[in-house]
Amino acid sequence: MTNLNASRRKFLRTASVVSGSVGAAAAPFALNLATLGSAVAQTTGPYKAIVCLFMYGGNDASNMIVRTDATSFNVYTAMRTQAPDSIALLAPGTAPNANAARATPARLGGVVPIAPKFTAGVPGSTPNSAFTYGLHPSMPEVASLFAANRLAILANAGPLVAPMTKAQYQANSVPRPRALGSHNDQQSTWQALGPEGVKVGWGGHLGDLVASSNANVAFTSITVSGNAVFSAGDTVFQYQVGGNGAVQISGISGNLFGSSTASAALRGIVTSDNQNLFANEYASIVKRSVNAQASFQTAFSASTAAAPTTYVQPSTGNAQTNGLAQQLQTVARIIGARGALGVTRQVFFVSMGGFDTHSTQNSSQADLLARLSHAIGYFDTTLATLGGVDMRGSVTLFTASDFGRTHTSNGDGTDHGWGAHHFVSGGAVRGGEIFGTFPEFGPQGADSAGNQYLPSTSVDQIGATIGKWFGATPLQLNTIFPNLPNFSTPDLGFLV
Amino acid sequence: MENVKNFSLLKSPHQARTLRRAVAAAVLLAIGACGGGGGGSELPAGDLGGTGPQAAALAVVVPTQTEAARFLTQATFGPTSAEIQRLSGMSYAQWIEEQFGKPQTLHRIYMNQAAADLASVGQQLSRANFFDSYWSQAISGEDQLRQRAAFALSEIMVISFTDATLSNQPRGVSSYYDMLAENAFGNFRKLIEDVALHPMMGIYLTWLGNQKEDAATGRVPDLNFAREITQLFTIGEWMLNADGSYILDSSGKPAVAYTGADLAGLAQVFTGFSWYAGPNTSDRTNRRYFGNDASLERDWRSMQAYNEYAPNTAFHSVSPKTFLGVTIPAQTKADSEGDLKIALDTLFNHPNVGPFIGKQLIQRTVTSNPSPAYVGRVTAAFNDNGSGVRGDMKAVWRAILLDPEARDTNSSSTYGKLREPVVRLGNFMRAFNASSTSGRYTGIGLTDDPATSLNQTPVFAPTVFNFFRPGYVPTSKVITDAGLVAPEMQITHDVSVAGYMNYMRNIVTVNTTRDIRQNYSAEVALAGDPAALVERMNLLLFYGQMPDALKTQIVAAVTSRTVPAPVYPVSTAPAASAPLPEPTNQAAIDTAKLDRVYLAVFLSMASPDYLIQK
Repeated sequence: MTNLNASRRKFLRTASVVSGSVGAAAAPFALNLATLGSAVAQTTGPYKAIVCLFMYGGNDASNMIVRTDATSFNVYTAMRTQAPDSIALLAPGTAPNANAARATPARLGGVVPIAPKFTAGVPGSTPNSAFTYGLHPSMPEVASLFAANRLAILANAGPLVAPMTKAQYQANSVPRPRALGSHNDQQSTWQALGPEGVKVGWGGHLGDLVASSNANVAFTSITVSGNAVFSAGDTVFQYQVGGNGAVQISGISGNLFGSSTASAALRGIVTSDNQNLFANEYASIVKRSVNAQASFQTAFSASTAAAPTTYVQPSTGNAQTNGLAQQLQTVARIIGARGALGVTRQVFFVSMGGFDTHSTQNSSQADLLARLSHAIGYFDTTLATLGGVDMRGSVTLFTASDFGRTHTSNGDGTDHGWGAHHFVSGGAVRGGEIFGTFPEFGPQGADSAGNQYLPSTSVDQIGATIGKWFGATPLQLNTIFPNLPNFSTPDLGFLV
Repeated sequence: MENVKNFSLLKSPHQARTLRRAVAAAVLLAIGACGGGGGGSELPAGDLGGTGPQAAALAVVVPTQTEAARFLTQATFGPTSAEIQRLSGMSYAQWIEEQFGKPQTLHRIYMNQAAADLASVGQQLSRANFFDSYWSQAISGEDQLRQRAAFALSEIMVISFTDATLSNQPRGVSSYYDMLAENAFGNFRKLIEDVALHPMMGIYLTWLGNQKEDAATGRVPDLNFAREITQLFTIGEWMLNADGSYILDSSGKPAVAYTGADLAGLAQVFTGFSWYAGPNTSDRTNRRYFGNDASLERDWRSMQAYNEYAPNTAFHSVSPKTFLGVTIPAQTKADSEGDLKIALDTLFNHPNVGPFIGKQLIQRTVTSNPSPAYVGRVTAAFNDNGSGVRGDMKAVWRAILLDPEARDTNSSSTYGKLREPVVRLGNFMRAFNASSTSGRYTGIGLTDDPATSLNQTPVFAPTVFNFFRPGYVPTSKVITDAGLVAPEMQITHDVSVAGYMNYMRNIVTVNTTRDIRQNYSAEVALAGDPAALVERMNLLLFYGQMPDALKTQIVAAVTSRTVPAPVYPVSTAPAASAPLPEPTNQAAIDTAKLDRVYLAVFLSMASPDYLIQK
């Protein structure tokens, strides 16, 4: 049931996002916030941080969390057992076969059963409790967190304009998000609610709301893995740091090639305003980098977190470093430095690529999920004693990806899909539960649009649930997520 | 296939070409004799292959030094004094034609030699050897326009060493790059066919060994390559006018160029091809289809269609296939090659290709936001090279480089582009005459760490979507409000700007442990005259457009590094005719002069006025 707001500004904002018009300015937003009266989200109280963990390429969530009841599992097994390389994971309880090739389903053993609590009143409990579930065998840390109630599953989530049934999908009677199945557009849609070209992400928008509660606005929205539209706000910039924090430009201070004054000249040259728009933008990035670097790095250097252990690569059995865990170590150190950095609300972005498993899915995904699980586990452990404080209740991490993948296999991999399952973890999460409606596997299921899942939970609802916890008001959430009023449940209930 | 132009009555294309060139050369020589910077007379349209009248007029211009430097900034990995001199003695058209005729050097041959050398010491070829070959050609290759064209194509029809399946295929990836370079000045139809059939592309976009649908098991063909050849290599997502603007649908949104159904139909076409098996069709066995019994040349020879030639094969879809308004009816006998031809012809003939590809090539070389009219002129050259041929890339490059929007100085605040990091390094190496001690141009290697390096390495994009998107808009209100894009800004951020400066601070210095070394002799000779030294930077790096304020700042910084006065050894008064003895502080003088050069180069290359090419 749609509930389109009569406000014209809001309609324009909705229209521009839904249409995916490229290159159009998103100008009205800042105006909207100002007119809402309280432009600042509720930020009194303890520190809070959101961490977006983006899996680039489209993770095959159907092999990450598997419904193991016979109805669904039999279809799953039949559809995904294709020559030459079956990607169907095996039934719970199947012992690993040490003689099978590494990272194959036989070698990994059956999916690992999980026991959701299905607490009465938790959205999704009733329909989901009829079935049983298992995790990909390479995810022991996620299984532990789920059992410890610090991780929840968000079932069959994806971009939607409005709720859509299978019949409505087949009749094309409800508008769909644009450019489904296209990597760049769906990454943009998950992060910024529109196809490639949208300039501001919902993480950045949440940052805009809370920025004024930070003494150092510059450190509100931080990405540890390159430019990501998720982190870009209207007023807050996505501040980039690397594994060693902010990088100092060595030539702008001290002696430069035998001159004691040339470094000042350099500093002036690289930070001056310029009449060419692009040169000016470049200079402003350098200026930001220089201005923020010293204060950031002082605080960051003083903040420590134990380095992640290695993880075991399922295809080789070798111990290897986990880059995603290292990104989360950087995030943890920044959270640990929050006092010195002068921040009470932060939005973070970390990512890993390689999820576009069109081929060699068995080995590729086993490795990817091993790293994902290891990193999420590491982050939880590290936050538990960060600077002597248990920060887990203050930090909420959620996963996202371009899309899920096709039900069927192309022989050794899968193609682009739509709906996918995701994780949300942290001390404030109602863990050990499955939120939303966990779908039956296969095109015959009620939640399928052909060879892919038709989402029953929208990105807007996930974002709004997180945003509400973060301190945004319902009015602010409706502005950041213009399609939110189309859904009956803006708060999915996975955060307390 | 070369086409006959105005001289179609002649018997052979070779005769036609020879005669045409003789006429053109005679006309161009006559114009050259008139002196630099002037105009010229009209040339027959066929000589300039489809370029419009404005470009034809600019073609015969013999540029001044600064004009030549600016042209070379767009068309090469960077101006050198020698090339600036040379180009100021010929017309743009002559230079371009000369470039079209330069022989290509194959990376694959370099890699074969490197493999042999390494094998003799028990080592193996790796992607590092390709990077050496890449820089050898980018820095010292004479076919500079081909180098830039190939690099631009590698950012559109992307494969990448970052992919686990390609990271150990150094010769294969090298040969893919050769294929782009080979097709840079050929026809686009052949380019996309060679791209499609290259085994490295087959691996990267997972269509090598792709199998047809199987209704019994539910398997469907992998859609990956069908999607990306359509979305990224030929027509793009949205319907385009010839000037690159979006065609809108009935609700005012950009109209889609294809649907999921189109991709599914194309995916059925891209089935049944696999590794090169050998010269005989009987070589194409089932086992080879699945990667066994490898031919030694399969990493670089085109993929082959297996269905028709091997017994018991059933890899290519024989079902009806519908895509982009075309239907291939059901086949009794699989026709992989015929279906592929239809699919590639359909993509090639789509009206989107000219603006979609043309605009990106403009963005890679001239400016990020070409006017619709400029894009339209390049599209026109793509659609018809003047002799009725579609897809002639020579016509496209002429149209791009000879267009008034490329040639005319433009001080508008919205004109220009951020130079990509790899090209900046090329600029430095060429401007300061870098050469290799060993001849192998080794030592640059991976440059993708944003904290310590360039945040970009050639053929090392994170995904098939390249390092940056053609439509990327930075979160700058001013740029957003102006409706502009700045693709290279997508890899520009707090960490990378610092990494670039720190990397360049190191690279500008002379380091005798490096294999690739710059030669600052011309600059050191000017170290005693900071204004002259900075003027040289102005020509090589700013094509004469360094702003006065920047000149003043850099001259002052250079001057602030004092060069000690020479101290001569005390001795009995020498004969008046005796030469001056060497100063005792010569080393300190040399160091100081080099420091001045470092200051001039580093401050120049760090400046936003250099970084934004206008």
